[in-house]
Amino acid sequence: MRSRSSVGGAHPIYYPVLLLACAIVLVPVAWMISTSLKNETELFSDPPLLWPDSPTLGAFVRVFEDYPFADYVTNSLVVVLSATAISLTFSTLAGYGLSRFRFRGRGAFLAFLLLSQMFPSVMLVIPYFKILKTAGLLDSHLGLIITYISFTIPFCTWMMYGYFRSIPKELDEAAAIDGCGAARTFFTVILPLALPGMVATAVYAFITGWNEYLFALILTNSESQKTLPVGIGQLIGQYKIEWNELMAASIYSTIPLMLFFLFLQRYLISSLTAGAVKN
Amino acid sequence: MDVPVAASGVRDATRTGTRPRRRRSPVAAARERIGLTFVSPSVLVMLLLVAYPLGYGIYISLFDTNLLNRWDFVGLKFFNESLADPGFRRSLVVTVVYALLVISGHVLVGVTLAVMLASDVKFNTVFRAILILPWLFPEVVVALIFRWIFDPIFGILNHALSMLGMISSQVAWLDDPIWAFVAVVFAAIWKGYPLVMLLSLAGLQSIPKDRYEAAALDGAGRLLQFRYVSLPGLAPILGVAVILEFVWWFKHFTIVWLMTKGGPVDATNVVSIDIYRTAFQSFDFGRAAAMAVIVLFICVAFAIVYRRTVPDEEA
Repeated sequence: MRSRSSVGGAHPIYYPVLLLACAIVLVPVAWMISTSLKNETELFSDPPLLWPDSPTLGAFVRVFEDYPFADYVTNSLVVVLSATAISLTFSTLAGYGLSRFRFRGRGAFLAFLLLSQMFPSVMLVIPYFKILKTAGLLDSHLGLIITYISFTIPFCTWMMYGYFRSIPKELDEAAAIDGCGAARTFFTVILPLALPGMVATAVYAFITGWNEYLFALILTNSESQKTLPVGIGQLIGQYKIEWNELMAASIYSTIPLMLFFLFLQRYLISSLTAGAVKN
Repeated sequence: MDVPVAASGVRDATRTGTRPRRRRSPVAAARERIGLTFVSPSVLVMLLLVAYPLGYGIYISLFDTNLLNRWDFVGLKFFNESLADPGFRRSLVVTVVYALLVISGHVLVGVTLAVMLASDVKFNTVFRAILILPWLFPEVVVALIFRWIFDPIFGILNHALSMLGMISSQVAWLDDPIWAFVAVVFAAIWKGYPLVMLLSLAGLQSIPKDRYEAAALDGAGRLLQFRYVSLPGLAPILGVAVILEFVWWFKHFTIVWLMTKGGPVDATNVVSIDIYRTAFQSFDFGRAAAMAVIVLFICVAFAIVYRRTVPDEEA
């Protein structure tokens, strides 16, 4: 990094600015952690305790006892992992097709993918509400999976299209000369090379689904079907908000994203920026 | 929403449509078939799960309906009424101001931090790891953290401010129209700037170093170098980022809904909340669908106008 740094030296003013920015990021995070470790009395003490005198993991246990938190987690995992797997499969095929072949309607398809980024999600949720209701899929995993696919497929296809374009076409041509058909070229030559892009795409699809709130809020209503964001979000509607449990639940729901980032950050950042920078 | 779309593609799509057709040889025809085979599953899903609901949504917008037994065709009535409705217009204005403030915040904070992180500042990795954190929090969590911070009685903000002697009584931030708006903007900036920061950082590192050296030889100081070397180098990335960000934040729902429910007195009533309420609290689905179609047009129009007016930096 250092060798490619843009402007040589760091101005002295950079340090206080960066420290201030870090503080603005870390204070809310620290407050969340501190709150999650408090007990009932410490939670509502006046003045507020910056850090609990006797930190306890009680709230982390109670979210599982007092709420169907395990159900929320399971529902989120089932819905999001299914949607991710399906989207990844379809978008990998489509991304390859778009990057390697010319065919009628290609431009229209690309334009539609782009346009689909413009929809207000609240716009699709109204027809989906009716469609799923008619199909008897309201308040079901399958219904949510279908809607999640509808917004993960377009951007997954974009990402895979971008990634395949960064893999030289000469590899396909070499494989063809060696007698590989299109399918074999794709599965044995190109697909292994596309793995990093697929990982990044899958993670983005997962993050989007894991964060999704509006569709799940509208399309599910029984406790046994609600996803994590909806489950956590509704805790705030209660008369007395147990902030320690709320913050514990929040920490749980952030953990998968932190883990992904920790282990895959190289993939994530490079695929995020590859297309942008190369241009 | 925090998912980037491979930014390069945005440009590509505008080009492919106009490519002149070549006459097809049998080989090309065979390749076309293979291409279609790869793409068709995705196309089918898009038609079924995106195009069909979209068309159905537009269809619904032409009816006065509860989606059950009442389907009265009203044509464009809801479009006319919505566009004339002061409440809806106000929510559009609130949304535009909200989106523009959030995006400006993202660009300002993101680019500033990226410039600093791209220098040989010490503890670079530590700074980077910390500054990326907000990106990793789900929107629901961000909304809840800030609700708790802004809590009038037990919130840490009031406590800190009264310790510093800046306020004498507890302020109910989210019950005040102006502060509530400031709060939802702040939470959204906090959540979203890391994406712009990462993109800008990558952009800065791809600018050849000799351009800075040349600028320095010409006597350009740090600020001039930023203005004439860094900024033009970042323009393509920021250009794409701004379009996508506008669309994302224009239709944003989660953070605002969980922090303020659109209140107080509609001060934070962004258009997604307005549509949600019209559809799922008033069950006026046709009107809500019409409002959603209007939002779609605004987002598309913004993208088109923006692409036309902002000069393309690519040679």
